[in-house]
Amino acid sequence: MENRSLREQIAAMRQSFLDEEILDTQFIQLEELSDKDEPSIAEEVVTLYFRETTELLPNLEEDMKATPIDFPKLDRILHRLKGNSASIGASKVRNEINKTMALLEEGNVEGAKAAFEQVRKEHDTLKAKLETYFQQLRQAGPVDPATPSK
Amino acid sequence: MAPAGVASGNPAAPRRANEGAPAEEEKGNEFPRVILRNRLTALVVDGSRFCRMVEQGLLQAYGLETQAVDNGMAAVELIASGANFNLIVIDMLLPVLNGLETTRQIRAMGVRCKMLGVTAHFYEGERQAFLAAGVDEFIEKPLTPDILAPILRELDSQ
Repeated sequence: MENRSLREQIAAMRQSFLDEEILDTQFIQLEELSDKDEPSIAEEVVTLYFRETTELLPNLEEDMKATPIDFPKLDRILHRLKGNSASIGASKVRNEINKTMALLEEGNVEGAKAAFEQVRKEHDTLKAKLETYFQQLRQAGPVDPATPSK
Repeated sequence: MAPAGVASGNPAAPRRANEGAPAEEEKGNEFPRVILRNRLTALVVDGSRFCRMVEQGLLQAYGLETQAVDNGMAAVELIASGANFNLIVIDMLLPVLNGLETTRQIRAMGVRCKMLGVTAHFYEGERQAFLAAGVDEFIEKPLTPDILAPILRELDSQ
């Protein structure tokens, strides 16, 4: 009974991610890639994503403050961050990165800095939400094959 | 390396580990189904560890045998050593040897398999350059079942 309402909560969380466009169907597909006997590849991939961003984001901040700005270097790192974000379905983060990259391409450094603040913000929001989400999933435990789903 | 748990005997329907309310199942199932008749192999070339995980995971879910390398030179060497693949998924931005040059070198070895170029971010002119280097198609990440399924059906029918 308790377990069922937890699962409903989890489903509601997942739906809210989609509705708010924090995550897109790429994330759902990652979850669908999981075999029920193995830990979720989605969680593995997400954990790895945040481990990488823990390094990437501070570096980006430093590089954005540098004078003069090393545009090719910034571009490479943003490029990588974008690819990673797209791969887990982090659509808001990805969109903000797009804006940042566009502004840099125009040479609008101040604009890019402001856009990058948004990247950070969306990233931190996503991180907090996914931590909660996976925590709840772990609490709910693996789907019990003996319990028929109605 | 690759998620070993992904069902290899059941390429069409990877199971969901995380169930929500039953109605979610129908709504959430985004997987275009492809049942392969042939044994297909794929190589993923990407500098990002979890892009490799995601792409391999997806390919394996469809029943392909996959390998992955993290730089262009390793890809060239692997192919030069005689490894054959039906599909190569290659990122444009690669360490050691970039995606363009890697593609050129692979094609120069006479390799005619399907090559799918990927990039995190489209730049003008990149598409033409990558196609000219020898990829058959070029997409922006992420690699999704909608993109992959038709490619696999095509490969399976050859």
